[in-house]
Amino acid sequence: MKTYILIGITTLKEYMAYRLNFFLWRLRMFLGMLVTFFLWFSVFEKQSHFGIYSKNILLSYILYSNLISTLTLSSRVAEIAGQLNDGSIINLLLKPVSLFSYYFSRDMADKLINVGFAIFEVSIVVFSFKAPLIPPQNVFLFLPFLFCGIFISFHINLILSFIGFWTTEVWAPRFLFFTLVFFLSGSYFPLDILPKSIYTILMFTPFPSIFFIPTKILIGQINTISLWQICTTVFWAIFLSRCSVVMWKQGNKSFSFWGR
Amino acid sequence: MIKFLQKNLRLFFLYSRFTLKTTLQARVGIVFFLAGKLFRFLFLLVFILLLFGKTKIISGYSLNQAVIFYLTFNVVDSLTQILFREVYRFRPLVVSGSFDMVLLKPMHPFTKILFGGIDYMDILFVIPYLFLVVLFFFKTIAFPYSIFNILSSLLIYILFLFNSLILASAFHIVVLALGIITTEVDHTIMIYRDLSGLGRFPMEIYKEPIRSLFTFIIPVGVMMSFPSKALFGLLSGQFMWYTFGISLSSFVFSLVFWNYALKRYQSWGG
Repeated sequence: MKTYILIGITTLKEYMAYRLNFFLWRLRMFLGMLVTFFLWFSVFEKQSHFGIYSKNILLSYILYSNLISTLTLSSRVAEIAGQLNDGSIINLLLKPVSLFSYYFSRDMADKLINVGFAIFEVSIVVFSFKAPLIPPQNVFLFLPFLFCGIFISFHINLILSFIGFWTTEVWAPRFLFFTLVFFLSGSYFPLDILPKSIYTILMFTPFPSIFFIPTKILIGQINTISLWQICTTVFWAIFLSRCSVVMWKQGNKSFSFWGR
Repeated sequence: MIKFLQKNLRLFFLYSRFTLKTTLQARVGIVFFLAGKLFRFLFLLVFILLLFGKTKIISGYSLNQAVIFYLTFNVVDSLTQILFREVYRFRPLVVSGSFDMVLLKPMHPFTKILFGGIDYMDILFVIPYLFLVVLFFFKTIAFPYSIFNILSSLLIYILFLFNSLILASAFHIVVLALGIITTEVDHTIMIYRDLSGLGRFPMEIYKEPIRSLFTFIIPVGVMMSFPSKALFGLLSGQFMWYTFGISLSSFVFSLVFWNYALKRYQSWGG
């Protein structure tokens, strides 16, 4: 355990060493949040409700989903693909640590520092533009769902990186996948404003578990989360973790790399 | 001067042929990237349609007008990607010192580092975007509307698109110059992308002082929103002059900044 805590601390120190890099990254995230926030803000200039959502609830959804997506999506796992392609993964394989735990520790540190800044950015928006933000609710129910979201995202990232065992074209599938995640996880809008049939189909995919469901719980709309949706989240968490382990084992068998 | 331009144009076509060969090396990647770009475009379009399904007017704009803003953003963004993709590959040249090899060649460095890597994938998207702009423009206009008015609106729109490209090239030259001074390119170019992303929707949705900041200080609004506004006839003559003035001055500033940065370039040698 001590080893993995140290790995996390080292990751934090890496960020401190490349401060400009991190600052510019957060600036990018902030700009992305502004677009969605102001778009919805302007929608409520002339009306008090949008579908089932009031202004307060929807803007809170946008701000909380931004925070939660920072927790679930921020990851260092993407670098594994590059390491598989250039062979530098061998440096990690030779260490007496599990790759999964090593990257989970790095990811936790990554999430910690990112969410700290994301809270600050959301506070800027809330105070500067008097954005309504309802207090977080159902925190104890929210936490296991948040963990499931983090777990699902972590294993999807691993699976995308493990493609590097078999091909050098690793970035294009990641680009496609994150385009899908961005829209189908509910970052621009809550998914339940979609037509019912599309919404129902989407709820069978892993995307809503990444931050739509945790956000809905946090804004107090747990009555829309049914038992089968909880089962779907747990199913994807287990299924994707199994997939990533199988891919890792299969990949190791066929792995070859350039000499170093 | 003409000979210089001809030579650099020949080199531009040569680099473009090389880039095509490089692009075709990753055929599976092309399919994934094209699918990603298509999904991104369609998802946001569906989002706009969804939004306007329940709200007829947002910040004074109708559905068709909002779609034109979004399409115009895509046109400018795609044209920029087509022309200036090589900027994304500039950092390794600076940190490895290989930029020396570019500077030593008897050509303008921009031929290689700015225009030297056409993005062929975006070419496939620009024409449908432009077609859709015209289609939605016809939906916005209230007939009877004379042919002369339609043609003049479209001509002004094209003129403003060119103006947006001048601004975009100024942004990219500044990114290159910053790349030399700080060796940071990856995030600055992505910040440019995120800033320009603010122009997906009309600038009127943003509150003050954000709106003024991105119209007058960092002219993202001028680049992405003004062509659509010009098409709808919503820009006064005063703003038109402002638009061309800010583009020209930004371009001149970027060249001055580039020259300043170039004097501070330190090769790594080796």
